[in-house]
Amino acid sequence: MSGSPPWSSSRWHSSQAGFVPHHATSNSTGRLEVASSPPDVQRSLSAANIAGHSSLRGMRRLEARRQMEEANFLSSKARSQNLNPPIDLRMLDYVTAYDDNLMCPICRCPFLDPVVLAECDHCFCRDCIRQTWASTYSPLGPRGDCPSCRTPAKLGPRSATSKILVNITDDLLVRCPKSEDGCKAQVKRGEVQDHVNIYCGYAYMECTADDCELHVLRKDAAEGCLHFGVSCLDCRQSMQKASLETHWRVQCPDRKVSCELCKEAVFNREWDTHSRETCPAISIPCPGKVFGCNSRSKRSQADVHAKSCTFAKLTPMLTAMQQRMDEQEAAQKVMVRKLEVLEGGFQAVQTILSTKQEDPDQVGADESRIPLLTGRPHQRGDSGGMLDAMVVETDVGAFVFPPPSSSSRPSSELVHVRAGASLPPLYSAPMAPGPRPADLPEPFTMDFDMASPFPPPAANGPYISPLHHLLSMHESLRDEMSRMSAALQELDGRQSMQALNENLRTREEISYMAAQVAGLSRQVHWLTSAQLQRQQHGGAGRQAAGAAGPSGSDIAGAGAGVEAAVSTAASALRGAARIVNAGQGMTMRRGLSEEGRTKL
Amino acid sequence: MTAPLPKRIIKETERLQSEPVPGISASPHDDNARYFDVMVEGPGGSCYEGGVFSLELFLPDDYPMCPPRIRFLTRIYHPNIDRLGRICLDVLKNNWSPALQIRTILLSIQALLGAPNPDDPLNEAVAKQWKARENQPEAIKTAREWTRLYANK
Ligand SMILES: [Zn+2]
Ligand SMILES: [Zn+2]
Ligand SMILES: [Zn+2]
Ligand SMILES: [Zn+2]
Ligand SMILES: [Zn+2]
Ligand SMILES: [Zn+2]
Ligand SMILES: [Zn+2]
Repeated sequence: MSGSPPWSSSRWHSSQAGFVPHHATSNSTGRLEVASSPPDVQRSLSAANIAGHSSLRGMRRLEARRQMEEANFLSSKARSQNLNPPIDLRMLDYVTAYDDNLMCPICRCPFLDPVVLAECDHCFCRDCIRQTWASTYSPLGPRGDCPSCRTPAKLGPRSATSKILVNITDDLLVRCPKSEDGCKAQVKRGEVQDHVNIYCGYAYMECTADDCELHVLRKDAAEGCLHFGVSCLDCRQSMQKASLETHWRVQCPDRKVSCELCKEAVFNREWDTHSRETCPAISIPCPGKVFGCNSRSKRSQADVHAKSCTFAKLTPMLTAMQQRMDEQEAAQKVMVRKLEVLEGGFQAVQTILSTKQEDPDQVGADESRIPLLTGRPHQRGDSGGMLDAMVVETDVGAFVFPPPSSSSRPSSELVHVRAGASLPPLYSAPMAPGPRPADLPEPFTMDFDMASPFPPPAANGPYISPLHHLLSMHESLRDEMSRMSAALQELDGRQSMQALNENLRTREEISYMAAQVAGLSRQVHWLTSAQLQRQQHGGAGRQAAGAAGPSGSDIAGAGAGVEAAVSTAASALRGAARIVNAGQGMTMRRGLSEEGRTKL
Repeated sequence: MTAPLPKRIIKETERLQSEPVPGISASPHDDNARYFDVMVEGPGGSCYEGGVFSLELFLPDDYPMCPPRIRFLTRIYHPNIDRLGRICLDVLKNNWSPALQIRTILLSIQALLGAPNPDDPLNEAVAKQWKARENQPEAIKTAREWTRLYANK
């Protein structure tokens, strides 16, 4: 592996006394111990040389020290690995374009630890194929169908994979996974874990201060412990010194960062607006994108493109057209709906007419009338002759058909259509639905003796248009009528409600007053009777004393007067109640008369 | 916190947008990158020609180890698609392979519109109509009608 780390023990053992480890220049915790070691080693070795080869104690000490240092280094490496979790190699950003043939069909990344299926020569990542076959367990090891060609296959050993393939995929250049934090390094994919663990300045490591257990970015480690409180000069937020830089770069709203595309310094808080609206260097799509132009250009050059792009020129017009089309479509939908309703109504009229036509009994009848009612059917009693007319209520309208034999003429309220054709009564149609003789002339083709603004009906049309017109007129009149009667009814209802309310209130008042009067009269009665009793009781004594006489009779007289007044009041109240009742009767009468009017 | 979107889904989405398959479009929801709105045009020469069918597609958590879930939203008269829009297609079930992708699945669905398979029906009633030789013109007529009615843009 090209990622063979410089601390590997073989390298260490083979190193010369003066060897300075490769990584001594990086600011790792390991370095602090390792970096201090080479001079010691050198010194010990040279001392040993000088003192001759017999200094066994010195050698042993040297050996022990070296072992300790190695252990220290490995543990620090382990710790830094903990701080920086293993990198998901599939999430890496590849710098150079790679051949599609290097892409695993399952994870769509360049092969990671590729395996070649011996059965069909298809290649996948070891993890990907293991996961695919995870559900089909076999005691003979992972096996299943090849995801690409469905050939039954099994997982081969690593040695079966060509080294060239492994090397090619491991040598692809990727961006450091900490690139968002600021690391600009581009490394081979095979070395990216080592980069993060050992070299990357934007990876975490333990703080170099002995009494501090917090983490610090590797590039800041040399500056000593940065874990003390500071506050941002721009936004006054307080934080640790170690996180100040990150704060400045991404969070601080009052700090300017330079836009990578246009090199302009932009406040963090305005970053969204900048990238969305103002950055002149950002690439934006042509305004005619929705209509087919796939070109993108920098915002500053968008005008240049728009001037030459037909799509961009047409965009305002096309958008307006689109909008109008949408509007029209909506309007059309409404129209279609209306048309449907109208057609439904028309069909209903047609069915009524055709049922009537098909009655053979009435074909020969010379005249028939479709009296179009302008009044309500039950008002027809006024026009005596119509008493025996049939009233047929249908969903289209109320038709009143005089029986064919009746010679009575409808009253003047009725409008006649003197069609030469026969319009038999509707009630007989379902009873005698016999076939109509073929040679009979089509109904509704006779002349029309009404002064009509319509052209004469078509010779062979089953229905004539004036009739339709009249029917529709009738329909609209009926609508009008029902509207008016509904309005009248509503008015009527409102009025009678009002009168009722008024009456209720008055009646309540009267009954309250009557109760009061009754109470009063009882009281007065009691008072007068008490007085009278007292008078009778002590009558003799009082009569002797002449002075008392007049006063007693005075009281009695007053009592009688009050009683009389109370009874007058009571009778007045009764009168009022009568009047109110009469008033109610009147309103009821009025209601009736109004109803009568509406019927007229 | 939800797991980050696998690179594969990101790549597939990017490719669907940058080089769309003719007659097929798939765009992820803004709030859920695993949920796609799909439009498939009826293949030319079939009784679904001229129709634009909308489908919904969802990538489960273990995608690509299990197939995407996909369903017609537009009503369609087809022996392999039922009333709820579920599709009877082997690669969406047992024959799924992680080497397949969204675009290949959508292409298979478009192909299914072009070549209905009444021998492996999901919608029995439609399949019966389709299979009986004398009824087939009737079935095709209905399919055309439905396409005009429901799959009109
Ligand atoms: Zn893979
Ligand atoms: Zn294969
Ligand atoms: Zn780095
Ligand atoms: Zn510290
Ligand atoms: Zn700040
Ligand atoms: Zn900019
Ligand atoms: Zn353009």
